[in-house]
Amino acid sequence: MPHTARFMPNPLASGHIHLSYPSHPLPSTHQSMSLFRPSDFPLGVIGIASCSQNDSLSAILAQFNATLSDLFPSGALFPLANNCLVFEESDGSTNLTLGSLPGLVVIPGMMGNKQLYVGTLIADLCSNILAEFATVVQSLESPLGNEYLNATMFPTLPPVSEMPKPIENDMPLRSSLPPLPSQHSQPELNTGSSLLRAKTPTTLSVKRNSSIGPGPPSSPFRQHSLPIQTNKKKPLTIGAVSSHGRLFKVLGDLFLLAGRTMDASVWYNEALALLKSAQDIVWQASALEGLATLQVVEAWSSNTTNGVSEGSEPWADAADKLTQAVQMYSRNAPPAEQEHNFSFVSWLYTRAVLRHTSLLLAVWAAKGWGPLAFTMLLHTGTTTLPPTLSQEDESAASGGSKRVSYHSAERLTSITGITRSTIAGVLAQVHGPWLLHLGVRERIFILENMAAVYGILGYPRKEAYVLREVLGCVMDLVVCGREEGGTTSIAGAGLGLQGVDVGESTPRGTVGVRTSDKSEGNESILRIVKHICRVHGIDLTAVGILVGEEASAPSEGNPAESETAKEAYGWPELQIGIVREAIAVAEALPDYPAVAQFCLSSLKTLHVVMSQGDQLHLYSTASRALATARRRGDPRQVDYWSGKPVESIEVLPLPLVRLPIEKPVSLLSQQQDVVNPILVGMTDPFLYNPRRSMAGQAAALLVQNESFEVVMTLRNPYVFDLELSKLSLSTSGVAIQSTPMALVVPANSYHAVTITALALEAGTLSIRGCVVQAPGGAPREFLLPLSTDDEETKQARRRSAIECETGRSKRAGLDSRPWEKSGKRASMAAPSSSSTPGTRFLQCQVVLEQPLLRIRRTSLTHGAVMMYNGERSTIRITLENVSSLPIDFVRLTFEDSTIGPAQQALAEGELSVFDTYESEYDLIHRPVFTWDHSPGTQSIRPGEKTVVTVNCFGKVGCTDGVIHVSYSYCHRPRPTLDKPPETFHTRQLSYPVLVTVYHMLECLNLDILPYSPDVMFTNSQSSHKSDAHTYKDSLQVEDPEDWCIFSVEVRNTYGIPFEVKFERQQPEVALGNKSILVPPGSTSRILLPVMKFRLPDEEVHKPIPTLSDRQFVVSKSGLSADQERIQRELFWYRETLFDHIRGRWKETGGTRSGELSLRQLRMSQPMLSALRVERARLQLSLWCLKDAADSVMEPIPQANGVYEPPMDELVYLRARVTNLSESRIFTVNLLLDPIPHILAEGVLADIPIGRLDTGQTYAFDTPITFVSCGRFSLSGFLAEPGSPGDGDRLGRGSLKAIVHP
Amino acid sequence: MSHHLFLLSPSDTPLYELTHYSSKPAQTTTSPLASNLPSWSTSAFAGTLTALSGASSVSQSYHVQGGGVRMGGGKDRHVIQMIANASLDVIEDVMRKDSLMYLKSVDKFNEWTISAFVTPGNMKFVLLHETRNDDGIRSFFLDVWELYVKTMLNPFHTAHTPIRSGVFDARVRASAKKHL
Repeated sequence: MPHTARFMPNPLASGHIHLSYPSHPLPSTHQSMSLFRPSDFPLGVIGIASCSQNDSLSAILAQFNATLSDLFPSGALFPLANNCLVFEESDGSTNLTLGSLPGLVVIPGMMGNKQLYVGTLIADLCSNILAEFATVVQSLESPLGNEYLNATMFPTLPPVSEMPKPIENDMPLRSSLPPLPSQHSQPELNTGSSLLRAKTPTTLSVKRNSSIGPGPPSSPFRQHSLPIQTNKKKPLTIGAVSSHGRLFKVLGDLFLLAGRTMDASVWYNEALALLKSAQDIVWQASALEGLATLQVVEAWSSNTTNGVSEGSEPWADAADKLTQAVQMYSRNAPPAEQEHNFSFVSWLYTRAVLRHTSLLLAVWAAKGWGPLAFTMLLHTGTTTLPPTLSQEDESAASGGSKRVSYHSAERLTSITGITRSTIAGVLAQVHGPWLLHLGVRERIFILENMAAVYGILGYPRKEAYVLREVLGCVMDLVVCGREEGGTTSIAGAGLGLQGVDVGESTPRGTVGVRTSDKSEGNESILRIVKHICRVHGIDLTAVGILVGEEASAPSEGNPAESETAKEAYGWPELQIGIVREAIAVAEALPDYPAVAQFCLSSLKTLHVVMSQGDQLHLYSTASRALATARRRGDPRQVDYWSGKPVESIEVLPLPLVRLPIEKPVSLLSQQQDVVNPILVGMTDPFLYNPRRSMAGQAAALLVQNESFEVVMTLRNPYVFDLELSKLSLSTSGVAIQSTPMALVVPANSYHAVTITALALEAGTLSIRGCVVQAPGGAPREFLLPLSTDDEETKQARRRSAIECETGRSKRAGLDSRPWEKSGKRASMAAPSSSSTPGTRFLQCQVVLEQPLLRIRRTSLTHGAVMMYNGERSTIRITLENVSSLPIDFVRLTFEDSTIGPAQQALAEGELSVFDTYESEYDLIHRPVFTWDHSPGTQSIRPGEKTVVTVNCFGKVGCTDGVIHVSYSYCHRPRPTLDKPPETFHTRQLSYPVLVTVYHMLECLNLDILPYSPDVMFTNSQSSHKSDAHTYKDSLQVEDPEDWCIFSVEVRNTYGIPFEVKFERQQPEVALGNKSILVPPGSTSRILLPVMKFRLPDEEVHKPIPTLSDRQFVVSKSGLSADQERIQRELFWYRETLFDHIRGRWKETGGTRSGELSLRQLRMSQPMLSALRVERARLQLSLWCLKDAADSVMEPIPQANGVYEPPMDELVYLRARVTNLSESRIFTVNLLLDPIPHILAEGVLADIPIGRLDTGQTYAFDTPITFVSCGRFSLSGFLAEPGSPGDGDRLGRGSLKAIVHP
Repeated sequence: MSHHLFLLSPSDTPLYELTHYSSKPAQTTTSPLASNLPSWSTSAFAGTLTALSGASSVSQSYHVQGGGVRMGGGKDRHVIQMIANASLDVIEDVMRKDSLMYLKSVDKFNEWTISAFVTPGNMKFVLLHETRNDDGIRSFFLDVWELYVKTMLNPFHTAHTPIRSGVFDARVRASAKKHL
């Protein structure tokens, strides 16, 4: 049996071959571990080539060998076998000679079952490898080989050529291994060299002394080998006799690789015993590892869970061994002078920890020690999720975060008894400063595995921590590789460097060379970055990246609530650090859109906790990156990033001159309204009228082809000035024309922007929001729906619900990240469904093009008019039509400063009925402005002018007024026969007028006196001038009983004299007037006789009317019926009196004249009784007998109306009663004063007269005698019996007498 | 020897941080593997890796052998925060299983041992320490808890409000001095 069969499996034994195909061999620096850990090295190399007809096989072989020698240094132990498979490309006949070259196999294209053939070839290769094992061992078994093996901690064999040839003949076939099958070719150990044989006299039986071995222990071997080992001289010396512990361990390794587990176990145990005594800790640990591995392999191959009966778990033994190994590795410090050994021991240590972890993980994930766990351990390793956890993963994977649910993890824990924290604790041993000892690729491997395990365990934060280190490694490679220049290709095929300016470092040019077009590497690195950030609560994709030009802005619904609900998550300091690192990574790649995306996303989500410097830095980095990306023609664009910038949108109302006002068409047909428009506004009987408030909210009116302005309020919550490259309106409905604008919103402020737009057609325009675009980004539309009251309350409720929740922490840890939380919150989820349908937007009504009128000139200077109180003047306004449309409707309305207060006083309703009437009278009959219009001149053609005349009335208290000119083009031609619109639009032109009214004349002290001649005479006697005559003339009346005297004082408070004239216009009476010159500062009294009159009772008792259409006016005065009657009488008599008497004034020496109002004068009861015609008249006179005999009477002479009767003589007091009203019964009462000096006959009181008909007169005489001289006053009054009281005096009469001595 | 205390809100936001330098000597039982580290690259990313793996703190403490080892500033502070944050994974896992409030030595990472204290309100007190001192840490945590509860009595203080009270700080420091 050739020595090559030593590691061969039993003939006819069935088994499996596990092949792993590593893509990268270990770096050459690890060459020194080739004996220590052969399993890490590629044992065989399979080359795959394709050849066409033209290729020569020898060239292919040469190429293969070149590649091989490039990958593996020449002196290396491995690979042990090579084979190159050459696949023919075409079916065509080739000139290749099959099998002509060793190590090259040609597979013809026409071959049928290639799979089987290739399998055979690989089996061939494996057998070559196994054969080579024997060669290796053979060289090691030589004494020199053994010394090499023991020379250093990680020994290497010199090239085979330098080794002495093993003596093959020396090897007798030994089959003296009772426990092992004879076909296992062990005996080389015994036969390899005499020295070796001497030390192991009982060969394999010795090995059974270890606990695992089936045979009985034989200690003597170990005992006597130990001193030999320890007594050795310096182990470095080659050729000295060394222990065989290492050799046995290598044998164990190789047997394990060969799948001969029994042998491996035997040799391992033997090695352990030797190594332990030799204090060769690293090798001992490695042997322990090998044993642990062996156990797994054995368990797998027997496919049973052996050892269930034992108290501890079956895997516990393996785990113990690994723990031991780990501790040994970590405790062992290699000699300091051997720099490499640090990295090797670290590598071994970390691998051992990973091995331990993967064992625990596999058992945990596979629900215990079973086939599934073995499969995991043998096949998959730690980088993939075990199938027991992967089904839950599918739902979570869509959300972006792979997390094992707590319950499934706990279930696994309870099944297996391994907690996740245990696994994590074991794994954490990997991590430490020693990672720096490792080579780059090993470090990445370790860290990757570590991160994967943490990921499987559901420890995302730890995973993120380790992933940061992985990133650090990878990026370090990227950066360093780049610094070396473009010549070295960056390790790792996936790292396509996009847009790298390699040319910068090359001396010859500045043209950038893109070394690779593949961007998957970049993308996966960025994916890792994003994952890390997500774990820390930063959504780096909060701002999207749009590819290409399709930048159709997704319209944003209503993100307002999400902003308010945002709750801080995470560790701000860490977040900012991580974000900085993420940006650094993206910059180093470089991926400029990603840089911008990261910057802006983190600004968006983290700006609350960021310092000012950070914000500024991120913003400037983003702008720089965007500029670079654009310069390089990157097709990707960053979505608009900042939160909703628009706070409000408002359509500025058109200037009043241009504002169209909607009017119903019916207004045109009814020409002049009867109702005074001033009082119309107050006809609303309701204090609160919901319809009126609705009417105020009507859509804004805009005019076609005229520009309008929209004010947008923008908000910038950041500490830097936010630059927007484009801001435009987003509208629907009629087309508008508007230019987008660029602007800068100042830091941390609200900023109002005015955008001008032009509506191109008539119709409804709804302003949906705005479209914003940041520099270098994609445009984005933001909608700003109007919120109805309903919506408002809903939102308020939602907000308060969220606010209620904010203080509480229902979800902790990673579940409280904003995007995790938002989906789960019930209060957020429910209303979002109902809020969608009723979104309304700001709407404007665009009306048809309107004509435009302007005031060309007016007759006023400086728009001011100056008047005396009561004066009338006119204002002429010239209007010009400056539009291209004709105007066919013009109407004037007015306002002045007296209207408002009066209306308000009326509206308050606190005025008495009388005052109400006065106010209304003032408003209606004496307006400041009136329009003097003729109905024909209502059309103004384009470009024409027209003049309107406005009358002006001086009214004290008026300070200013406005003239409104409403105009329209309402009879425009209609293109269709549709129903004419219900409304038309007018425009209004307003002309403010400054009014100054001088208050110069004042009427006061109104009095109405009964007409008594004596008053008249005293006046006339005092002056004899001519004007006194006329004065007296004017007072002359036929019958003093029918007249009374109207007296009023006129005061001139102004600086110039005025001539005041009062006119009397009474029916059936001649006109009378009285004029007087009132000098400045003086007061003059005017007397004017007025004929008494009497109004019919039914007219007098009417209530005081209201001039407006006000309804529901409840009299608030608590007057009694009597007082009310008196008030009404006074009112009606006063009205009639003011009808009859008019006052006018005239400027002396000037032309200005006007009306003098009496309306502020009040009338009192005595005045009323003087003014009113009595119901019966009592006339008293004194008579005496002409002589004593005669009964003829003559009147006693009177002077100036005063009787002068003789003393002590009998005179007759004649009382003459005339009934002027309906027939009634009278009595007369006479009053004589002073009564002691008058003697009278008969009774003086209640003298019965009897019934008198209308107009009937009755007279009677009462004899009296004056018994003293002096002045007497005789009077009397009429009364109606049965109704006593002073008020019932129907008529009065009186006379005066002077008795001379 | 230093201790690092973090009071973390349920949303993982630190409300209070304390770095305590104990006068006790640190009996560092660093692995021999951690010595003799190479400086292998100068890029910024390598610096991150060095810091995260705990190498910088080791080398630092080696360099300033005698003097007070100042830590918790600059990059190390970031690393310590990272470790504290990462330990939350284990804390969350363990605290769901055990109903204990004091989770002693719940996690180990690099040279740090992490003990935690979980209040009923899901506040987590995380302490990074280098040596075992179970009883001292326990009483320290109880002190901090009491102080925290007193702070929470303030009606304006929510579970997410950072604690800036000077009194709280002084008392925590005093307790740390006493127990740690």
